[in-house]
Amino acid sequence: MAALFSGLKVLEFGGGAAGPFGTRYFADHGASVVRVESKQRPDFIRLLRYTPGAEGGFDASHMFAMVNPNKYGIALNMNHPKGPELARRLVQWADVVAENFAPKAMAKWGLDYPSLSALKPDLVMISTCLNGQTGPDRNYPGFGGQGSAISGFNHLTGWSDREPLGPYGTITDSLSPRLVALLVASALIHRRKTGKGQYIDLAQVEGGVTCLSENILTYGATGEVLGRRGNRSRHAAPHGAFRCAATDGDDDRWVVIAVHDDDEWQRFAGVVGEAWTADARFATMAGRLDHVDTLEERVAGWTRNRSPEDVMRVLQGANVEAGVVENFEDLVRDPQLAHRRHFREVRHPVIGPHLVETNGMRFSRTPEEIRMPAPCLGEHTGYVFRELLGMPAAEYEALEKDGVFQ
Amino acid sequence: MEHGEGNLQGYRILDLTGEPGFLAGKLLAELGADVIKVEPPAGDAARRRGPFVGGIADVERSVVWLALNTSKRGITLDLDHPRGRDMFLELCKTADAVIESAGPTGPRSLAARRLDYDTLRAINRHLVLCSISPFGQTGPYRDYRGSDLTAVAMGGNMYPTGNPERPPVRCTLPVAYYHGGIEAAVGVAFGLWGREVSGEGQLVDVSLQEVMLMPNMTSPTQFPLTGFKGGRVGGGFRGGSAFFHELWPCKDGFVSFALRGGPARIPGIIAMVRYIDEQGMATPALTQRDWTKYNHNLVTQAEVDDIEAALGAFFRTKTMDELFAAACDRNLMLAPANTAREIVGSRQLAAREFFIDINHEEWGVSLKYPGAFARSTAGGIGVTRKAPRLGEHNTVVYGELGIDAARLGTLRSEGIV
Repeated sequence: MAALFSGLKVLEFGGGAAGPFGTRYFADHGASVVRVESKQRPDFIRLLRYTPGAEGGFDASHMFAMVNPNKYGIALNMNHPKGPELARRLVQWADVVAENFAPKAMAKWGLDYPSLSALKPDLVMISTCLNGQTGPDRNYPGFGGQGSAISGFNHLTGWSDREPLGPYGTITDSLSPRLVALLVASALIHRRKTGKGQYIDLAQVEGGVTCLSENILTYGATGEVLGRRGNRSRHAAPHGAFRCAATDGDDDRWVVIAVHDDDEWQRFAGVVGEAWTADARFATMAGRLDHVDTLEERVAGWTRNRSPEDVMRVLQGANVEAGVVENFEDLVRDPQLAHRRHFREVRHPVIGPHLVETNGMRFSRTPEEIRMPAPCLGEHTGYVFRELLGMPAAEYEALEKDGVFQ
Repeated sequence: MEHGEGNLQGYRILDLTGEPGFLAGKLLAELGADVIKVEPPAGDAARRRGPFVGGIADVERSVVWLALNTSKRGITLDLDHPRGRDMFLELCKTADAVIESAGPTGPRSLAARRLDYDTLRAINRHLVLCSISPFGQTGPYRDYRGSDLTAVAMGGNMYPTGNPERPPVRCTLPVAYYHGGIEAAVGVAFGLWGREVSGEGQLVDVSLQEVMLMPNMTSPTQFPLTGFKGGRVGGGFRGGSAFFHELWPCKDGFVSFALRGGPARIPGIIAMVRYIDEQGMATPALTQRDWTKYNHNLVTQAEVDDIEAALGAFFRTKTMDELFAAACDRNLMLAPANTAREIVGSRQLAAREFFIDINHEEWGVSLKYPGAFARSTAGGIGVTRKAPRLGEHNTVVYGELGIDAARLGTLRSEGIV
């Protein structure tokens, strides 16, 4: 069966993760995605570990390579007088334009939606910046770290007596791409039925606040300002991460355990089999929640001499929720992720063989496919203009000489 | 709450999910789909979990229910009763997609209820079935139990989150359900696209563990190249050979600001130095450095400590509001660690009319909800109704199947609806 988005053409401006992970959904399902970059101002994730003179230059960035497989990459100097005109030609080729610059950038180059939809009326375009395209703070310059803080995730993550942390990895950078994929897919369905394009403005902060609707509504409905509670739950105890035995000299091994009702507690107690589990204070959820400090000490005493894998196996065997707190090495070796083929290998011309990830779902009829590594900066400029756009050789060479493909 | 025609207008989606999947149906409904929440006659378990509106425990007042089931219609149906199952299959003939989160095994699974994909496909080959589960429908962990806590832990996002001397920690609200909910909505939309192209539905298998990998921002895939397993560093990050703070106490809370380099960020650092200098609190560590050449991979810990001492002292003299106002006016890459109170009071969200007030006349209160999660020139995105009351749309939805009021009364007395 043909790939889901076989034949779809996506043109991408911007960088980082919030936009590019979104277009990956389409690239992995067969769309042709062309990333427009520039050597003057490379995607900042090409620079995360960059130092001048380093081997491989802008192409050695692990993160860029892992975010952007399955895409073509071109170099186009948008500040060259001919840059924006060539970008407009690419727009005429595309079905979808996706960008995640700050709001001023596309308009400055004449690539705002009103200009582009005049060229191509059925264009689907999406912009994804932190605060959205309108409002007094639209130009506020932000990355995922700020998005996570503004939308409320930082305040809700960590320990009540310590600083807010935010989940590792700047969470709006991973929520936003999923929303981009949803919005663009819905717009493509609409276009298929009506012939009409549209422009979508996704503010990453608003997407984050929507996910945290419970935070907003709790405040309005009860007056309570939710805070961070470590790993504890109001509805389950124990509910946390517990230290396990050191393995191979690594004393940072943990397991999570959650007991959601009193039947589960009985099964948990049956597995643990130690006298303290018969303590009457722990027999009911209300009792366990009331004595949660003591309870957690007891549970930690039991897990401390066992490996997280063993704890998971025996508790799950009794139908009690438990799981290894996996580090990055554990993930690469995880049998369930291996079963789902989460990690795939590609060969990058500068980095060599490396893993890339797929998204979190599998389709029974139209599986995703990793076909090629991420582009080096400007790797496909010739292919895209000559082959995909059919530009005559003489014109391409003249433009190249003119320095527009930089 | 009228928005015109949404992108998914005309599609009907049956939503059997519990809390892990609430967001999926909400997003699809807010893109125009007719999403019908199908609950057991006693109601979804989330209805019995607090907090409750006004602090009164009641199945209609659960905050998490109200927050994440907006724009859906709601019916009740006992899928374990043979006639309930038959009615569900009738509904499937009218539907384009089904979303569920009961897990691949166990008494409430679709398989145990003989409502697996093959059965549904035999009824309606166009149907897209999207299943959300802790680990996936197949594989060695398919039978394992898992809520948000375990998905976050086994997806690798907990190990690197936290303070070094404390256990790994999760977000207090369930982010695996948010990632999984959006992923499932993408799965349904992609499945519907595929159906438009080929006429065939399919099964989409979402794993809550697996959706938690992307939030790690490629760190797991970098492990074989770098040997870096992750670790907890508190509110900050490691770059080059130094540790940098990212979350700072201020007068009334915390703000996020980091000395990350790169051409896109350096102007923000320079603007911050100028701001602190204007306020008379800049030290030589700030003023005597050529920030245009700053690279966080090349500074020493001693240099970072000197710079951060000045930043920390300055932030403690200001409120979150003062610092964020300056950030917006001066393009500083600083953000407040907002609580719900600041978010509801945001001038940016107010200018975009993001929040909407929904009147709950039954309790005499009006509550503020997040509104449209995105804007489109085509319109059609946003909240269309409050979350359904238990069985609110039984009469109209079953009426469409030809079940009249008398028969509905019988079904109700038998506990089927």
